Amino acid sequence: MAFSPPFDLLPSLSRGLLVTLQLTAGGILLATALAFLAGLGKLSHHRPVRLLSATYVEIFRGTSALVQLFWFYFVLPHFGVHVEAMPVGILVLGLNAGAYGAEVVRGAVNAVAKGQREAAVSLGFNPRQTLWRILVPQAVVSMLPPLSNIYIELLKNSALVSLVTLNELTFTAMTLRADTLRTGAIFSIVLLMYFGCSQVISFGMRVLEARLSRGRDLGGVR
Amino acid sequence: MISICFTFFLAACGGGGPQQRTLERIRETGVVRIGYANEAPYAYRDTATGELTGEAPEIAKHILEELGVTGVEGVLTEFGSLIPGLQAGRFDIIAAGMYILPERCAQIAFSNPTYAIGEAFAVLKGNPKGLHSYEDIRDHEDATLGVVAGAVERRYARAVGIPDDRVVVFPDAPAALSGVRAGRVDAYGGTALTVQDLISKDGSGRLERAEPFTDPVIDGESVKGYGAFGFRRQDRDLVEAFNQRLATFIGSEAHRELVEPFGFTEQELPGDVTAAELCAASSTD
Repeated sequence: MAFSPPFDLLPSLSRGLLVTLQLTAGGILLATALAFLAGLGKLSHHRPVRLLSATYVEIFRGTSALVQLFWFYFVLPHFGVHVEAMPVGILVLGLNAGAYGAEVVRGAVNAVAKGQREAAVSLGFNPRQTLWRILVPQAVVSMLPPLSNIYIELLKNSALVSLVTLNELTFTAMTLRADTLRTGAIFSIVLLMYFGCSQVISFGMRVLEARLSRGRDLGGVR
Repeated sequence: MISICFTFFLAACGGGGPQQRTLERIRETGVVRIGYANEAPYAYRDTATGELTGEAPEIAKHILEELGVTGVEGVLTEFGSLIPGLQAGRFDIIAAGMYILPERCAQIAFSNPTYAIGEAFAVLKGNPKGLHSYEDIRDHEDATLGVVAGAVERRYARAVGIPDDRVVVFPDAPAALSGVRAGRVDAYGGTALTVQDLISKDGSGRLERAEPFTDPVIDGESVKGYGAFGFRRQDRDLVEAFNQRLATFIGSEAHRELVEPFGFTEQELPGDVTAAELCAASSTD
């Protein structure tokens, strides 16, 4: 059998890749916002805020993303809430990754050396200033490696959303496989595509890490 | 567990869902959404054109055109998501060549069948274990059967008495076929047309359709699967409209020409079996 590069598979798979990229990008944005909201929420002095944040984290970390997708997409319409497939996909992926991210944010902020807080207080910073000017800028640097893990996990979790009729990369590959049975070629391309995407994420995060740590000796987080 | 919660909530809210009658709406807008899983030749996306095609979608398009609906949007999903998707109003009709089964009738309404078809096995070349029926697998000491999740073959295997530990469930037909090729299972049980289609596409030359083949005998009867369109239960008028037109169309020359490219012949005509009869059949699970 003569070998020819499987270029004919690319148009279909690229369509799937585009959906995966949309889900991942949307998911990452939402996850980051939620991670900060809930992570800092858990450190709040207000009990209701702490409780709300903890409830969110426990529910979304403690149940499977697949089942959440099912509820959001197939059950909510029976209560009159009709959300389209793409928003449901982004919402569930973001809510999940955000729940994991919240613990990363909380841990990183807690890990900033106690002396930094004390210094801020003695310099007359109020709690809000202390958080945003002293703690978060230092904590962000140590958040980035674990967040990078979570974002890559989100990229790969995006394959779950075929349950809600979104034809992302993995599902497109499965469809194509049923059609052509060229499993080897299809899965090789998909492998490379996922690897490429995850490399973009980890490269981006490393660049961000380098930029944000410039001019800091990281004394605060150690 | 999911289905228990799901059923509970359906009961709790009285199956709310979309309020406007589907038939009215699709006639007004001229657009209907069709749910399908990717299984050639019943319903699949032609990857060359990206278009929805297959036996069921083509007949659906024909009938819908007679109803004045020309805009057909295909919603491609997993087989197991078809019924929940229909109930949640994600699409209006299931056109996937879905078999009419009593358990499914409890969830959705079916049109009368558009085809009837028997079963087949895909096995390694030469059929090393000599498997020519579900009964052969049951009677063999260690033969295993691969089936697709949510598909009817699992039911046949149980009804015939193949022990569960010799039935392996795969997510889709190509995976089951890979299972046969890799020696994970001895046979893949699918509908005759699915098996035929997959073997004709398989380039390895290591697989064949087990011949001759005897369809499983359940409750003293040789079973055939009857495929039809699925609708929400409240859409009785839409089902009626479909049945009326199917009655004159199925078996006609135009029908034969429409489905011939998908490998359907006169052999696969459903006769005068109705959805009501098939739904009333005793459940074998």
